Amino acid sequence: MIDQHEDPKFEHWLVKVTQEYNAPPATPRDRMWQRMEEARRSKRVIELRPWLRWAIAAAAVLVVGIGIGRWSVNQKSPSGARAVVAMDTARQDAAYQVAAQQYLSRTEVLLTDFRAQSARPGGRLDPQFVASARDLLTTTRLMLDSPAAARDPRLQPLLEDLELVLAQITQLPAEPGRKTEMDFINQGMNQRSVLTRLRTATPAVPGTVPVRAEGAL
Amino acid sequence: MDESQLIARVRAGDSAAERALYDAHVDRVYRLAFRLAGDDALAQDFTQETFIRAFDRLGSFRGDAAFSTWLHTITTTVVLNGLRKVKRFRQREADIDDAQDIGVMQRRAEPDLKARLTQAIDGLPEGYRTVFVMHDIEGYTHEEIGAALGVETGTSKAQLSRARAKLRVALADFEGEWAR
Repeated sequence: MIDQHEDPKFEHWLVKVTQEYNAPPATPRDRMWQRMEEARRSKRVIELRPWLRWAIAAAAVLVVGIGIGRWSVNQKSPSGARAVVAMDTARQDAAYQVAAQQYLSRTEVLLTDFRAQSARPGGRLDPQFVASARDLLTTTRLMLDSPAAARDPRLQPLLEDLELVLAQITQLPAEPGRKTEMDFINQGMNQRSVLTRLRTATPAVPGTVPVRAEGAL
Repeated sequence: MDESQLIARVRAGDSAAERALYDAHVDRVYRLAFRLAGDDALAQDFTQETFIRAFDRLGSFRGDAAFSTWLHTITTTVVLNGLRKVKRFRQREADIDDAQDIGVMQRRAEPDLKARLTQAIDGLPEGYRTVFVMHDIEGYTHEEIGAALGVETGTSKAQLSRARAKLRVALADFEGEWAR
């Protein structure tokens, strides 16, 4: 049996000296709260945009129609329950597909711009650019959390790579002279063919009608 | 107003109650995130993500355990998953660095206690490090750690003991400091 009090002197010393390990500063409560509010607002915007509501409604009508059709063909089978499940899934997938297309377009624009900025002398990113990257990072995480993402095996690894790239960009210090770090991020993107995969990616949701997204390239 | 009333008001859509609940717990969440991440930007990201998830999923909080226990389960999940992803990315960078530094040998200066301590704690296996940071540095009980990490209390105690044993070996050069 393990005795956790093998050397009280060492443990006492350890507790004392480790208080400096990654010692946190004062909690930036208001800054974090403000960012959370912004992130949640943008999530609500994604969920409630009128064209998105129409897309969801259209998909729901389509699936209800299919469900009713199947039910009327075979009333004795338990197809009603299946139709309800299918409707929920299709509704999620339609919302996900629309949001994914818009998100992918914005991310492609941002990363292409990042590559262009990296090529310029100075090695500094515009604070607004970093703020956009942070917004997209939040969206990436929300999309990764979506149940529809788990059903999309093609997009999931791309989202994970994009999360890492965007996290790196948002962590770049604001001062100039960061060209080396920017080059490293570009090398990482090249190694994983992130931009190429991003340009060719379309959400793999079988059976849904492609929807033209706002801002798509 | 007690916490269960506060939670009920948050569920009813009261944004002031949401802020009050955030204020009551944010320090502990941020402190843990910072201790584990060692980086302010990451700690802020993890803290924000923790609260966004917590507020989104508050409907599934049944009140069987304390709200803080439930929140710390989310915190540790968010932080540990986030750190794994960052580690993956940094490893890629390190691979690039290694490729560029082939043939360049650097003499490393003998680190002081603080640097050695940081290196030793960072070098612990993830489970040991998490339990050590939560218990010995942030003062969580083994019951709280067990609930947050989804492990038995005994597992938490065993991991702490092993973490301390590893640190004792790694810091053997400083034995004079604690044997006094």
